[in-house]
Amino acid sequence: MRRKDGWTVLIALALVLGPVPGTAIAQPAGTLVVGAVAEPVNLDAAQVTDFNSTRVIRRITESLVAFPDDSTQLVPGLAESWTVSRDGLQYTFKLRKGVKFHDDTPFNAEAVKFSFERQINPDHPFNKLGKYPFANFNFGTIKAIETLDEHTVQFLMKEPRASFLTIMASAPAGIVSPTAVKKHGENYPNHPVGTGPFRFVSWDRGQRIVLEKNPSYWKFPVKVDRVIFRPIVEEQARLTELLTGNLDLAVNLPPDFIAQLENNPRVSLLRGAGAHVWYLGINNEKKPFDDKRVRQALNYAVNKEAIVRDVLKGTGQVSAGPVLPGTWGAEPGLRPYPYDPERARKLLAEAGYPGGFSTTLWVPESGSGMQSPVAMTTVIQSNLKAVGINVALQTMEWGTFLAKLRTKEQDLFALSWAAGNEDPDLVIYPLLHSSQWTPGGPNRALYKNARLDELLQQARITTEQAKRAELYRQAQRILFEDPPWIFVDHEIQVGAVSKRVQGFNLHPSFDLRVETISLK
Amino acid sequence: MRRYLARRLLQLVPVLLGVSVVIFMVLRLAPGDPAEIMLGSQATKEDLDRLRTELGLTQPVHVQYLLWVSHVVRGDLGRSIWRKRPVLTEVLHHYRATVILTFAALTLSAVGGTTLGVTAAVRPNSLLDRCSAVASLFGASMPVFWLGIVLMVIFALELRWLPASGMFSPYGGGDLGDLLRHLVLPAVTLAAATITIIARLTRSAMLEVLGQDYIRTARAKGLVEWAVVVRHGLKNALVPIITVIGVQTGVLLGGAVLTETVFAWPGVGTLMVQGILARDFPLVQGCVLIIAMTFVLINLAVDLLYAWLDPRIRYA
Repeated sequence: MRRKDGWTVLIALALVLGPVPGTAIAQPAGTLVVGAVAEPVNLDAAQVTDFNSTRVIRRITESLVAFPDDSTQLVPGLAESWTVSRDGLQYTFKLRKGVKFHDDTPFNAEAVKFSFERQINPDHPFNKLGKYPFANFNFGTIKAIETLDEHTVQFLMKEPRASFLTIMASAPAGIVSPTAVKKHGENYPNHPVGTGPFRFVSWDRGQRIVLEKNPSYWKFPVKVDRVIFRPIVEEQARLTELLTGNLDLAVNLPPDFIAQLENNPRVSLLRGAGAHVWYLGINNEKKPFDDKRVRQALNYAVNKEAIVRDVLKGTGQVSAGPVLPGTWGAEPGLRPYPYDPERARKLLAEAGYPGGFSTTLWVPESGSGMQSPVAMTTVIQSNLKAVGINVALQTMEWGTFLAKLRTKEQDLFALSWAAGNEDPDLVIYPLLHSSQWTPGGPNRALYKNARLDELLQQARITTEQAKRAELYRQAQRILFEDPPWIFVDHEIQVGAVSKRVQGFNLHPSFDLRVETISLK
Repeated sequence: MRRYLARRLLQLVPVLLGVSVVIFMVLRLAPGDPAEIMLGSQATKEDLDRLRTELGLTQPVHVQYLLWVSHVVRGDLGRSIWRKRPVLTEVLHHYRATVILTFAALTLSAVGGTTLGVTAAVRPNSLLDRCSAVASLFGASMPVFWLGIVLMVIFALELRWLPASGMFSPYGGGDLGDLLRHLVLPAVTLAAATITIIARLTRSAMLEVLGQDYIRTARAKGLVEWAVVVRHGLKNALVPIITVIGVQTGVLLGGAVLTETVFAWPGVGTLMVQGILARDFPLVQGCVLIIAMTFVLINLAVDLLYAWLDPRIRYA
């Protein structure tokens, strides 16, 4: 009898576990499933710093200024229009009328003031209920926020900062429902409420976040009923789920998967430029790198085309400087340093290093925006070896890497900057202005060029874009001639969607605009 | 017996205290702190210093530790720096998934391992015995993440028999069948190494027992062979087998960290990896403490099992 029971259990188990052909369950119409690279940490845009979180949050909350669906130029968002005073010290926003938060409370000037003051005013009743990591970087120049009437709000600045409008389009500038923040207090990051195309429904930890369409969205009727974000860290698992129909959309796919995806009839491959730069930092303070000719030689010695073609499988474009080509601040006349080892050797000899030298290169094994750091630096290492420079690679975990860069002991280091917008003030200034030297700022190359500093400062306080563009073009010519880094590439994002997804494009800000999707 | 149990439970205290000190120190000795990771590559020193003060990271380490322990003994594991939720809630939510996975892998390796081991011992040097030796070598030397991906490619991508990741289907699903289908690949992956270790150990323990005089007597009595092997053989070989199963539970709990990450299994391992990368100190400390506690309790259970298996063992 007991033995018989055992068999019954075994057979039952076999039936349950047994092969079920085509485990992909029929996808319900109207539900879109997105594979996230990792689980969002929380859903308050002011309290996160990673793309996984903001990609979900930006469906829920919106900012006054916005990016259109295909670029990072600035267009009206929750503000219909704005004016900037001549001295750049007053920004007045006219707010869109009739917009409501998902909790049915009105979007108005008070809500705008609340959303920023909770981040920057230590005396604000809700300031202590959260940590706002970028508040100072983003909004440190705000002196005061005045509500002129129900639909007009004015920002007064301590000093002019021309990139302020771009910052107002970033995720932390999203407007939150004050009622929701007051209701949930320090738990607000798990109960986000905004005005966006989707409203938050549920979060099953480690498994999925569910959003539902906002039926009264002000901008356009949303065509997808529900979006589910699933965190799948392992790349192969994300790819398998996409190919077996359990995901509709996956991004951050590694270059090695491209060939497989290109020929697969079930999915469409997507590519899109990203506002990003990958560079090989050089410690400009250390010998022999303090000699401009050595840094030029390094740029000639590295075969960027080969890296983009063979390591990145085309998911990058060779860069000639920090600014993304084709954006308003880019210098169109700049061409990347050609691969010319002969010239590199000559420059090294002129600088007094005919036999080359030895140095170290710090590399994070992975990290936000780092593409394929180890493979890329391995190519760079062999390129440099060919001109007589012996490079020892030191690979480290991301957190360790960032900490070590503050010691200023680096020789060479691989790093990237994903600004997610096209304002050079948010790229060149922090990375290369001498006031931003690490550990005080992100200028980890310890670069200093007095003329560049002057141009960047001037561009920062100039409000007119055409004049700023001219200043930035000059700045880029200086950087090309006196290179602070080895310029490597700007990322081209790779994603894939199932065939039923229509109308989706990868956004240069790295945002995932699933609200543009309709399902076949 | 009761006094023994009480004493063993009391021993939990120094063990967990030791674990807590080690994990607390290791996290703080690793370069990079939560503020550093939170602010990423755009951070200014001013922002970092402010955040460090807010997070209490500027206090001396022993003060931070005592503060934390004083909360832990009151059942408060603190709040996750990133997730804005109490660590206990967060860890317990993921604990269920880890227990399911570990238990499934444990059952698989205990049942599979002993069956294989016994079969091999009954016919030493047979084809089956040799195959199981080769399989053991493979099982023990394949890294979890590699095996997991290979199984995923074969059974989820090519054959489409099983789902590739997660614990339930993204929509619908949610029932036992759905859970079991999702459980197969991670459980097999996790159990692969353990199954072979248990099989090899069972084989050698069984070979020793099967050579004993009482086995010969049992056979002489005319007992059927399976009764000789299982009732007289296996039962007497079980003590070392149970010991190794107990130890392997710890290995499985550790291995769950990798397996969960590969298969997006929403357990404590996945949570811990995220916590470590983000240097979310309270979260990682909470995860390690819960895992350590589980391991210690399982070992206690194994010790108690001995007495049941071998009446000659007594606790005082």
